[in-house]
Amino acid sequence: MTAEVIFYWSLSVTALGLIIIGIWGVLSRKNILRIALAFTLADTGVNLLLVWSGFAPGRSAPIVDSSVTSMVDPLPQALVLTSIVIGVAVAALFVVVGVLAARKSGSSDVRRMKELRW
Amino acid sequence: MNPSLLAAASIGTGLMMLIAAIAALTVKKLISAIIIVGFVSLSSSVLFLLMNAPDVAITEASIGAAASTVIFLWGRGRIGGEE
Amino acid sequence: MIRSIVGLIIVLTLSAVVISVIPDLSVPVDLPRTGQYYTEHGVEDTGSVNLVTSVVVAYRGLDTLGEVVVLFSASTAVVLILTLIPVGSDPTPPSSIVALTARVLPAAVVLFGAYVITHGHLSPGGGFPGGAIVASAFLLVMLGSSSVPGSSKFLASIESLAGVTFGLLGFWGMMVFGQFLNNLVIPQGSPGKIVSAGIIPLVSLAIGAKVASELSSVFASYRNKGGEA
Repeated sequence: MTAEVIFYWSLSVTALGLIIIGIWGVLSRKNILRIALAFTLADTGVNLLLVWSGFAPGRSAPIVDSSVTSMVDPLPQALVLTSIVIGVAVAALFVVVGVLAARKSGSSDVRRMKELRW
Repeated sequence: MNPSLLAAASIGTGLMMLIAAIAALTVKKLISAIIIVGFVSLSSSVLFLLMNAPDVAITEASIGAAASTVIFLWGRGRIGGEE
Repeated sequence: MIRSIVGLIIVLTLSAVVISVIPDLSVPVDLPRTGQYYTEHGVEDTGSVNLVTSVVVAYRGLDTLGEVVVLFSASTAVVLILTLIPVGSDPTPPSSIVALTARVLPAAVVLFGAYVITHGHLSPGGGFPGGAIVASAFLLVMLGSSSVPGSSKFLASIESLAGVTFGLLGFWGMMVFGQFLNNLVIPQGSPGKIVSAGIIPLVSLAIGAKVASELSSVFASYRNKGGEA
């Protein structure tokens, strides 16, 4: 287990841990804004996992220079740029709808928002 | 940078992010939870830099840590923090 | 009780699935084929030194158009909801430190944001982070005073103009070459100069203006108390 292997796999452990913590938070919290926060945490974990999939240690950033020989894969980074912007759009809509639902049912507890149940 | 320094930095930052993520979902006050999620976003920007992705790091720091935190702060201001 | 047990089972199952995707414990050496092509031929195809910007704007420009549409629909929905059901209240007057900072700092922040937008093809950055930085300068001015600076019609007109510009740049490529968002309608120039990389600087400007005005109108609608849009 050289230091390079530990470095490479610790990054993915962080991303996977964030995804699992985010999913657990969505399932178990009761305040509507905390559910939105847990969703944002899971989104951050997914973005980390995507950028990690294109990473190889020892290569440099994907900006062409005269002194650069090998570069990291630029395709997952382009996809993650899109994903970050869409994540903030989803968070904005989540919070606005959550605020409206909380004002309509009188409390910010999801167990009280009875009209959303089927 | 030599690999052991990178390994130490990534393990330290990763552990801090996981503990902060669990803390963000279990603290009592909502304002603390929002600030901790902003901190996790900023630390993920540091991890993006360690993975040689400067474009993604700038985008995550400016959009994920700044605009997202403002959105949550507005939501908390409208419906109040919990006890 | 049942709900928490079911939740625990779901989380454990999902984590087992997620962890089983990881292959053997080794470090990769080679890039996948598409990434290899982008790193070898990116500069000579598009002329942009920043390969991520060339992938986002030139190679995958249609995905960026879709992302612009998603951001547009989300921000329009938020502003529309907060116009019809205004939930704003009177903002507290800012303290003197915030008021002074809001008078001094936004010029430098807007300048930095414009730098990040226009140098998207030379150094890390591009349209999206630059637009968010300009929107944060707008937020600073808004926090430093008790009212909303600028009118929402001005922001909406900038947003529409930027979106239409993006579409028209794509159609220009279609008229000249028969391909939507072709990068070579403007000559490539030499990579590394600011006037280079074909259509990429213009598209970055359009994206930056669109993101800045959209985020600014979302921030401005948070203070909406009813009455005007």
